[in-house]
This record gives sequence, structure tokens and C-alpha cells, in this order.
Amino acid sequence: MSAGPYRPPRAEDAVLGKMPGAVAEPASIEEAAAVVAETSRDGKSLLFAGGGTDLEVGGAPEALDVLLSTRRLDRVAEHAPSDQIAVVEAGVPLAVLAQVLAARGQRLALDPPLPERATVGGVIAANAFGPRRARYGTARDLLIGVTLVRADGRLARGGGKVVKNVAGFDMPRLMTGSLGTLGLIATATFRLHPLPEASATLSVAGLAPGMLRALLGRIRDAQLEPDSVVAFRTGGGRFDLAVRFEGFRPSVAAQRDRLARLCGEASLGIEALDEAAARALWERHDEARRAGTVRVKVAALPSALDSVERGVFAPLADALGDAACVWYPTLGIGFAGGSPRDAASVAAAAAALPSARRTLAESGGSLVLLAAPEAVRTAVDPWGDAPSAVSLMRAVKLRLDPGRRLAPGRFVAGI
Amino acid sequence: MSIAAVGGLAGRMAEIVGERHVLADPAELSTYECDGLTGYRVRPALVVLPGSTEEVAAVVKAARAAGAPIVPRGAGTGLSGGALPVEGAVVVALSRMKRILEIDLENGWMRVEPGVINLDVSKAIGARGFYYAPDPSSQSVCTIGGNVAENSGGAHCLKYGFTVHHVRGARVVLADGSVVDLGGPVLDAPGYDLLGVVVGSEGLLGIVTEVVLRILRKPEATRTFFATFPSTDEAGAAVSAIIASGIVPAAIEMMDRLAIAAAKAATGLDWPDVGAALLMDADGPASEVELTSENAIELARKAGAIEIRRPRDEAERQLMWKGRKSAFAAVGRISPNYFVQDGVIPRSEIARVLREIGEMAARAGLRVANVFHAGDGNLHPLVLYDAALPGQEKAAEELGGDILRLCVRYGGSITGEHGVGSDKAPYMAVMFSEDDLDTMGLVRCAFDPELALNPGKVFPTPRLCGDKPGPFRPHPEEAAGRIWRE
Repeated sequence: MSAGPYRPPRAEDAVLGKMPGAVAEPASIEEAAAVVAETSRDGKSLLFAGGGTDLEVGGAPEALDVLLSTRRLDRVAEHAPSDQIAVVEAGVPLAVLAQVLAARGQRLALDPPLPERATVGGVIAANAFGPRRARYGTARDLLIGVTLVRADGRLARGGGKVVKNVAGFDMPRLMTGSLGTLGLIATATFRLHPLPEASATLSVAGLAPGMLRALLGRIRDAQLEPDSVVAFRTGGGRFDLAVRFEGFRPSVAAQRDRLARLCGEASLGIEALDEAAARALWERHDEARRAGTVRVKVAALPSALDSVERGVFAPLADALGDAACVWYPTLGIGFAGGSPRDAASVAAAAAALPSARRTLAESGGSLVLLAAPEAVRTAVDPWGDAPSAVSLMRAVKLRLDPGRRLAPGRFVAGI
Repeated sequence: MSIAAVGGLAGRMAEIVGERHVLADPAELSTYECDGLTGYRVRPALVVLPGSTEEVAAVVKAARAAGAPIVPRGAGTGLSGGALPVEGAVVVALSRMKRILEIDLENGWMRVEPGVINLDVSKAIGARGFYYAPDPSSQSVCTIGGNVAENSGGAHCLKYGFTVHHVRGARVVLADGSVVDLGGPVLDAPGYDLLGVVVGSEGLLGIVTEVVLRILRKPEATRTFFATFPSTDEAGAAVSAIIASGIVPAAIEMMDRLAIAAAKAATGLDWPDVGAALLMDADGPASEVELTSENAIELARKAGAIEIRRPRDEAERQLMWKGRKSAFAAVGRISPNYFVQDGVIPRSEIARVLREIGEMAARAGLRVANVFHAGDGNLHPLVLYDAALPGQEKAAEELGGDILRLCVRYGGSITGEHGVGSDKAPYMAVMFSEDDLDTMGLVRCAFDPELALNPGKVFPTPRLCGDKPGPFRPHPEEAAGRIWRE
């Protein structure tokens, strides 16, 4: 291995217990490409890491010769406010990007937890998202172009710098959520949105699943357009609902008042939060999303909250003693996390997960393990059963990474 | 393919789909010689109209067994020659598969077959207050399968996104006749986002036989206005000012002098004779659209608008939109022939690029009409010419190509919604490097190593796939996902 941008590994570089042979910290895309090309020549395995917020997702790497950190790929290469796009290197943390964009009144509408650490490249690779997904979607919807370093070290672009573009295959979408198994996301071009003039958060406490569904139906029928809708599970299978409106001041006020009236008509208590309380609530959201040493993501139809509560949230909370559960009722996606106190609790969690997964799978849903101690991981596959298109996924993997050197074993079905 | 071989394949296809759903007669085949890009024509060997996923899969297998390339086809409204047959091809037309299979309003999705007409999706749920957002101008005839293949847009994708944002899942018949489900009604199925790759892949990666669409609650209110300007400079400045103010219009469309004249001639609208016009929709909660549309009007005035018109009622609004949507075809009234171009530029460059296009047209001795999606910089220059005049057609074609190069020079794209197809395949190399195209080629090889699906489209020079890497005949342990061969 050449001198280059390498340093010896440190204890904190381990990924799911696997120590890398070396750590590369390239300072430019070209240098990153050179590192990848070198591993390709030497047949070495690679793992790409950003801020490390989602490195516990997926299987442990089968091999890890070189860990390539994007830490120094930290330039916001371009921000064109009038075109509402930005070109950003992979290692830029979301919070840093947010500052740059806010200076010109714009934002990237991606709000996963830990924005100080989570990097642009990592967020794309893990398809990480936050409450604003309800309105703006995920990286899949906001990423319009990507430069990737292929497994052989060559640079390839997909997409472009304009929002509307159907030339060629959609490489940005293929890279989104691929967990570094197809190539290194070197730069990303995003569609941006204007920073809202105003924001209002309202909270309705203690809703049973059926009441929650009914209230959401009313919000939809009233044609309100919230930007975030999140339900926090409290004791006894009840949920506190938080709804946030953002946009121009009069419209935010009108929608806030309308929701308050809707709740009034349904005899539901609703609280409009002041700025400090709203900030605290969204911080609580981020904490809940990251709570615990055992964390899972579940997906089901939005109408299935009842069975998600009975088949997933309640049993997990039981097994873990306590669990923080967050449900996005317009999406049908939830997160649950908790920390087992003892070996019995670990065993209970390991037992609860497969049955929760079965409950979800029955109606087309899924359960993915986001973090878990070794004892749970050995008992439960992080991804669950292989999807219907698994052979096709393997074929894509092997065409783009024929040596199977990029994050081997991390992804679905052992990819 | 020899006549005997075609006859044999026709017989095999008839066993699968029934005799009346196999077309082999030259007169019948002529309908399928081209799509909306009528300048290129190739007669296929056969046209087969399957009625189910199973039939599509069997048809694909039979065609492949006979060594015939396969060209999938929807309604044939595409403007880039994406459904252009190749010599000896079997065209698989999905027009018989037009059932709406499932509607789930609470969870916001419905499952349809690919032959369902775009507008019929919204019609099926409109009475209950829901709709399907992508609205290509051809929406009364184009079908969902074609929309998926082309990642179709439309005027309102500025706010709502393209087909890819509104497709949650698809059942896909692959090039070897196998069937996979990608995505579904539930979000975030684990694995690669192959659905996102299939959408917009122009029939090269598979044939979609069922689609799960995302459907939306209709917005509470829509406000529309029509504004006229002395020239496209002021209209372009108005668009930039509106977007810069933080307003996200549902749609904002521009027409230049020629396009306005054509639309007037076709629809009898009383639009004035001006240098440019904008048609803008704001939609959403009533409280929001009142504000944003009034603010946008104010910004248009400041940018130099001559006149603002607000439709008095829904009928008048529809008429305004009819003027816009009929503008392409209307150009036929002011020119014997024309090419429809489709390119994208950063929206802040609209005025500059339109002026350059005007200068290029003048140099070529041609006229260009512009009617396009200004909010996202998606130009549709219509290059007018007279095929009866020697050399004009060629000059028009060259001008069209120069316009695409101009778009790329400004950091844009060679297509915003019409697709690459066969028409623009040569221009892919203007926008993408060899390595970029090679990478897309690798994805194609993963789906279709024999390059049997829709050959001749998208890629300027097809790359051969070479040996399939990885496991050919999986060991049982491999099949179970427990071991891998390097």
C-alpha cells in the first residue's frame, strides 16, 4: 500500500467489531478515486464511512482491509440559490450544509437525527430521514445528481444539476440506500427548498391507534398540508401526535387554527406549542429515534398501526423493559429502540423480533435491525428474508463490484 | 428473421395470447412502425398483445428462444422514438392490460395495469377527492406503463415531482421472462431501489405489468393567472423572481410569440399578440394559494407584465390550460412541419438561452416556437420547417441538435421528460462521459445481459456485457444466501 492519505486504525474505527487494516482519509475526490483504484488492484476490501451515525445498520463486514473516511471531502462545491440546487461533497455534515444554505434563505429538506455528525454521503447511503419526509420525501426524492467512485476507481456521474432530467438510468436512486455496496458516493447534487417564513407545531396527547387514524383522516379531508406528522408512543398503547406546518405566515396560522378546530369538533385536546416547546418536542423526536442499544425500523401500511402496536411496539417494549417508539402515520414507518438490562432481556428481544417481523411481513411490511448487540445479531438477520428481486440485486452488485470488495456482507441477503 | 421463422414464432405466440392478439399482417404492423416521433419507421416482425403478467412472461421467453429482440410499447405517444421497433423485433404492446386492480384511499395508493390511461387513474378516484399527480400533456391518451418507462412529467411536476415520485411498486417481467416485484404499497422495502432505476429506463430493463401508484388528496384550492410580457426576457425574470420569493407554484408555463399565435389559431382564445406569456397555477390550502398567487402576480408586474388575467371560473381556467396543452399540435397551423425538442437548463438562464436559440435559428434561416415548463427550466423549442424546401429538414434537425448542446453547455440536460429513445441516443455522449455511460451499461447488463430489450435506445454505442460475473449455477448454500462465490 502506498503512503497516500492513510493512517493506522484506532479503536473507534471498528465497524461492528471488525477492525480495519488501515484507514484512508482522502482530501479530494481524485485522491479518493486513487485509494479505491489501489484497493481494486490489490484485491482489498473497502468500507466507506461518513459521520458513523448509521454504521451499525446491516451485517458486520465480512472483510475490512481499508476503511475510507469521507471526513475530508468536506466542500460545498456549489450553491446556486436561483436554481435551488447545491453540489456537495460526501463528507459535509448536514448541519454545516444547513448553515451554508440558510445564509441564502434555503435548506435541504432532509432532517435525520444527529445532523452535526451525519454526512451527506452517509445520509444518502443509509437513506436516512426525519419528520419532514412526510412532505419532502427522502434523499431518493431530493438527490438529482451523483458522482460516484466505482469499485474499479473510475469516476462516474449520474443525473445532473437540473431538477428535471430523464437522460440515462437513474444512478442517484440506485445509490440511495445502497449502504456503500455499489460505489463511493463522492459528491451529491440536491434539489433545495426555501426556508419557511413560519412554523407551527401542535400536539394532541393520548390517542389510541383508532383515534389517531380517524384524526389523520380528518386532516386529509380538510386538505391541510403538514410538513411533519409524528406519533410518539406513550404507555398503554397510546400515542401523542405532533403536527408541524411550515410556510408563509398567514397560511401556517390558518392551518394551525383549522387543525385546532378539527380537534375541538372531535373533542380532542390540542396544544399549540410555543417556539421553545416545539424545539424541545423535535429534539425529543431525534432522541427517541436514537434511543437504545437495540433499534429497529418497521414499515407497514399507515392503516396497520393497530397491528403494529400489538405485534411490534408492545412486545418490544415488554422485552426491553421500556422502548421509545416513533410512528410516522402518513408514511406507515416506525422506529423502536430500547436497551436490554440483562441477558434475559436480550433473549426476550431476540425472541420478539422474528415474530414482530412475521406480523409485518404478512401484510407486505418489513422490519430492519438498525442496531443491536452481538447476541441479538447472531439470532436475528438484520434485513429479514431475501426480497423477491434478490437475484437481480445480486446481479447489479456483481456488475458494479465484481470482486465483491465493497462492504461485503453488509447489505440485504448477504450482499 | 426468415419468413418461416416469423411464421413459427407467430404460431407460438398465438398459443400464448390467442390468435387474434398476434399481428403479423403488414397492414396491421404498419400502425406499430413508429411512435409519436413519426420520422423514423421500422416494421417489426410481429406485434403481440398479451393480457396478463403470465402471458407477458411467456411471450418474452418465446421471443428470446427465437432470438428476437423485444420492443415494449404503451400508447405510442412518446416523442423520442422510444418504442421504435428494430428489424425482426417482437413488439409487446400492453394496451389490453387496462384494468384498475385495487384502490386504497386511506393508505394513498392504487394498483393498475400498464395499459390504463393516465387521466383514467384520476377519473377513477376523482369523485372521492383524490387524484394522480403526474399530468403529461398527452394524459388523455398516454398510458401508465409508458409513463413509467419514460418517467413522464407534465406541467405540475414542478411542485409534485415526476412519475418516479408517484410510483411505489411494480411487477416487472425481466428479459429472461422471470417476474419480480419491486417495492409495493408499503414503503421502504429492504434492498436496492431497483424500482427507481426501472422507472425512466425506457423499456431497456423490463416490462412493467402492474404498477402501484401513489395517489393524493386533491388540493383545497387552485388559483390560476395568465400574464403577458413584451418579451421572454421579462417573462423569464418574472419566473426567477417568483421562485426566488419562496413560492413553489404548482406549475408555471411560458409561451413565446409564435407559440401564442399557434395556440390562438388552434383554440380561438382571445390571447393578445405579445412577446411572451406565463400561465401559473398555485395550489394547496386556500389560505396559502390566495397569498402566493397574489404575491406572484405582484412580482410578475414588477418584472414588466403588460396584463394579468384571472379566469372567472373553472371553465375559463380549463380553457387557458387547453391553450397551453394544445400548443404543440397547434404549431402545425403555422408551419407545415416541425420538430419538438426537449431540453433542460437552469431556470435562471431561461432568458439568456432563449435569446441564443433565437439567434441560432436566425442564422439557420428557421423559426423556433417556445412553449415550455419555465419553473423547472424544461424547454420545448419547436423547430419549424418546410420539408418541401430542399435542405430545410436537415437544417432543422441540426438546429435541434445544436439546441441540445446549448442546454448541456449551460449545465442542463438533453431531455427533461420526452426521454432519450432512439432520437437522442447520439447526444448521450454530449452529456455523459464514457465512464458514466459504461456505468449505466453495467446496470443494463445486470438486468438484460443479452441486450434483448428495446435495443438501439438510450445508449449511443451499446456495450457488450461479457461474461456474467459471479455465480452461474448456485450451490445450494449459495441459493440460501449463506455463502458466496468470488
